[in-house]
Amino acid sequence: MIAVERLGKSFHDARRGWVEAVRDVAFECRPGEIFGLLGPNGAGKTTTLRMLSTVLKPTAGRAIVAGYDVVAAPEEVRRRIGFMSAGTGIYDRMTAWELVEYFGRLYGMPRDALRERMETVFDWLRMDDFRDVLGSKMSTGMKQKVSIARTIVHDPPVLIFDEPTSGLDVLVQRTVLDKILELRDMGKTVVFSTHSMSEVERLCSRVAVIYRGRLQAQGPIDELLATHGQPNVEELFFALIEKADAEAGAGAAS
Amino acid sequence: MNWANVFLIFRREGMDQLRDRRTLFMVVVFPLLLYPIIGAGVLQFAAALQEKPRIVVVVGADRLPKEPALLTPDGTGFNPALFDSPAEAARLSVEIQPDAGRWATPEFREYAVRELDASAVMVVPADLPEQFAARADVSIPIHYRSVDENSKVTYLRLRELLDRWKGGIVEERRKEDKLPEGYAKPIEVRGLDAATTQEIGGSVWGRIFPFLLVLMSLTGAFYPAVDLCAGEKERGTMETLLISPAGRAEIVVGKFLAVLAASVTTAVLNLVSMGLTGLQLARRATAMGGGDGAGEAAAALAPPTLQSALWMVVLLVPLAAFFSAICLAVAAMARSMKEGQYYMTPLYLVCLPLIFMTMAPGIELNAFYSLVPVTGVALLLRALIVGDYATAFRYFVPVLLPTVIYAWLALRWAVEQFNDERVLFRESERFSLGSWLRGVIRDRAARPTSAQAVLCFALIITASWLFAQVVLSTGAGGLGVVAAGQAIILLVPLAMAFLLTTDPAGTLRLRRAAWRYFAIAIGAAVAVKPLSAEFERLVRWAFPLSDATKSVFESLLLGETPLPLAIAVFALVPAICEEAAFRGFILSGLRTGRRTRSAIVLSALLFGLLHVFLSLFQQFFHAAILGVLIGLIAVRSRSLWPGVAFHAVNNGLAVATGAWIATLERAGAAGWVYRDAENGLYHVPWVVVGGVVVGALVLHLWKYDRPDVGEA
Repeated sequence: MIAVERLGKSFHDARRGWVEAVRDVAFECRPGEIFGLLGPNGAGKTTTLRMLSTVLKPTAGRAIVAGYDVVAAPEEVRRRIGFMSAGTGIYDRMTAWELVEYFGRLYGMPRDALRERMETVFDWLRMDDFRDVLGSKMSTGMKQKVSIARTIVHDPPVLIFDEPTSGLDVLVQRTVLDKILELRDMGKTVVFSTHSMSEVERLCSRVAVIYRGRLQAQGPIDELLATHGQPNVEELFFALIEKADAEAGAGAAS
Repeated sequence: MNWANVFLIFRREGMDQLRDRRTLFMVVVFPLLLYPIIGAGVLQFAAALQEKPRIVVVVGADRLPKEPALLTPDGTGFNPALFDSPAEAARLSVEIQPDAGRWATPEFREYAVRELDASAVMVVPADLPEQFAARADVSIPIHYRSVDENSKVTYLRLRELLDRWKGGIVEERRKEDKLPEGYAKPIEVRGLDAATTQEIGGSVWGRIFPFLLVLMSLTGAFYPAVDLCAGEKERGTMETLLISPAGRAEIVVGKFLAVLAASVTTAVLNLVSMGLTGLQLARRATAMGGGDGAGEAAAALAPPTLQSALWMVVLLVPLAAFFSAICLAVAAMARSMKEGQYYMTPLYLVCLPLIFMTMAPGIELNAFYSLVPVTGVALLLRALIVGDYATAFRYFVPVLLPTVIYAWLALRWAVEQFNDERVLFRESERFSLGSWLRGVIRDRAARPTSAQAVLCFALIITASWLFAQVVLSTGAGGLGVVAAGQAIILLVPLAMAFLLTTDPAGTLRLRRAAWRYFAIAIGAAVAVKPLSAEFERLVRWAFPLSDATKSVFESLLLGETPLPLAIAVFALVPAICEEAAFRGFILSGLRTGRRTRSAIVLSALLFGLLHVFLSLFQQFFHAAILGVLIGLIAVRSRSLWPGVAFHAVNNGLAVATGAWIATLERAGAAGWVYRDAENGLYHVPWVVVGGVVVGALVLHLWKYDRPDVGEA
């Protein structure tokens, strides 16, 4: 459902010239699976996921999402994905219901089908008690639920979550993760980025560690632990990062 | 474009603005409050300025003759018959004092003017009756203080009053002597004001209204635009919208319509509020006095007629569209509301001088101003308000059309901004000039960027202007100066191509071209000539040249210069220099990240503007159209040289027209070619043939002969 091949993105920076934010990233993600992208801040997670959501154009490689190329058919891709990140906020001056309805209409859903779907989603996320509350008056937990509702209102086959739990308290975190698991069980293809090891251990069947814009390792968690001889994800993560730093240092020195 | 999405986005953004208190205040409440407050201020101000009754002490009033009467019978005021209106008479009150005691001394009279309530003291001399009887002249002393404004005005009024009174005395004497009427008053001036009440009102509003109206539609566009771009980025909803299936153009047009609605609403509410306030003020003014002064005030404050108000709304829509698109494009760059506000100052700084034109006396709408963005609309609004419908209707389309085009270009720019991820996901970085310059050189690409292309144009204009100043100050002239001016146009793109690109030759299109393109270029240049002649006639008819410019140009073209030299300087040199700049560097730069079609049109517009700045505004249209043609040739042939050939032949034909026609006339063939040899107008069949040939060549290049397709 998601196939990424040698994906790369370079930005132009006035001071440093062309900077490769992401390089040679490749992975696959199938329906009913949660693929985890684990990495520290600035590793290239957001850039990678923004390329998958077609908001940024890759400068190298290609990515197929839900059967469409992100460069050749970005609108078809956007129609079939749900994307949620720390950057996708909700409107202050719109109620929960209005916001979800607005995006449902943008996805081209017919009025009646949309209303039915919204009832299901609001019920599933237990949002009925703040349907008519304006975004500015919502708690963080409510906002996060509205964001999830917005992400799934059109029932997309592919879901991309970019650090959906950052800055949330544990209660809300738990709700968000539970809902993501439920979505996986519904057969969705889910890509999930985080810098939290425990979330990866809890959610993901397969994981990729991204650092300095490159994938350092990827595969099922058990396999990765076995190959690298590490006891848990945290140790694996630091081992991979140390290795990458050492390589980068050697590269710079040579 | 999916219009359902556009409408959805427009509705949401519009609703969002309606729910935002700040925007509502700026758009709705502010205009509704502003004008009544200004109106009340004006009334207060007027009331403060209104003359208070001034006291004139008349000493020795008993000596005044009964006929003609200077004072009212009860002696409290001056005879109203001596004033223009009774209201004026009421402003001077009289206090009679006997010419005895302290009032008899000049010192006390002066003291009264200086320290007491009297604005002036008039003394009727003791010998007045005798002198009158003897028909001798009498002097009447008036005490006043020139440094006291009130006293000075009173003195001037008194003089005027006494003048009329004197006229009455002379009239009495004339009757007594049975002299003919008009004996003493050979001339009487009677001023007849041709202005209608509406015009008197309009001239006052006409200066202020357009200024406020244009400013308000800019303000009305700016706040929502910042909120809908920078505000959304700041609140984190921009990305939410970008990942929806709505395309960038749909998002921009939806937002644009919302901003436009806000801007038009602001402007219309301003118009309504101004009109109602004006109406109210005019009524108050009429109710207060009833005299001439009040009538004038009423006329001055009367609102524009409903008819001109409607036309103003029609005119405001494209202007508001222009502002909305510009504001959107500018606001797209801002990362936060605060940063958005920073961009407001330069925008206002550019717009204000353009609007101020309406306040400047002596600036009338003409062909040139009608093309200047903002100014054209502001001047047309003034014409509508003043009630100068003749001017307004003549320039309605010439103002409306360019404004619509500017608005469309600005909207295209806004869409481009939204398609540029560098603009949307701009991150703050520390700016250092040195590293930036190093970066520009180090990271240069094969082709220049659009921004560099526009910079090239700006540098050409600036450098040429500086050069012209130097030439003017040194008084140099002649063909050498013309050639040197062209060299500047060449040097700028040449230097930029070598500094800023890795492939200067490719950027400037210094490649060989297939021979057929030379044939096409030269053929097109010859075939377009009869069309150009017709077109030029049309332009000159619409925008006539002044005689002075005409003679300057004729002396340049028909001077003593030998023809080969003239062709070299006016045809060959400009062909190479201007082509290298406009079809070389600028067109290559504009093609980066843009459709070929848009790039050609934009480069042609800049080419037209060059002619506005460096020679004549009238050449804009011709140059822009030829610019499109040469641009197409340059793109398809992938070379500069066919364009150079076109340009040289085109200019060469213009330079040699006189000699060519003379040759034809000697051969007796001029009648076959020209229907009007003096103006270079061809017979209609030639024009038709030219049109068909040019059309076919363009179609051929546009549709079929496209070896460049696929190249970067």
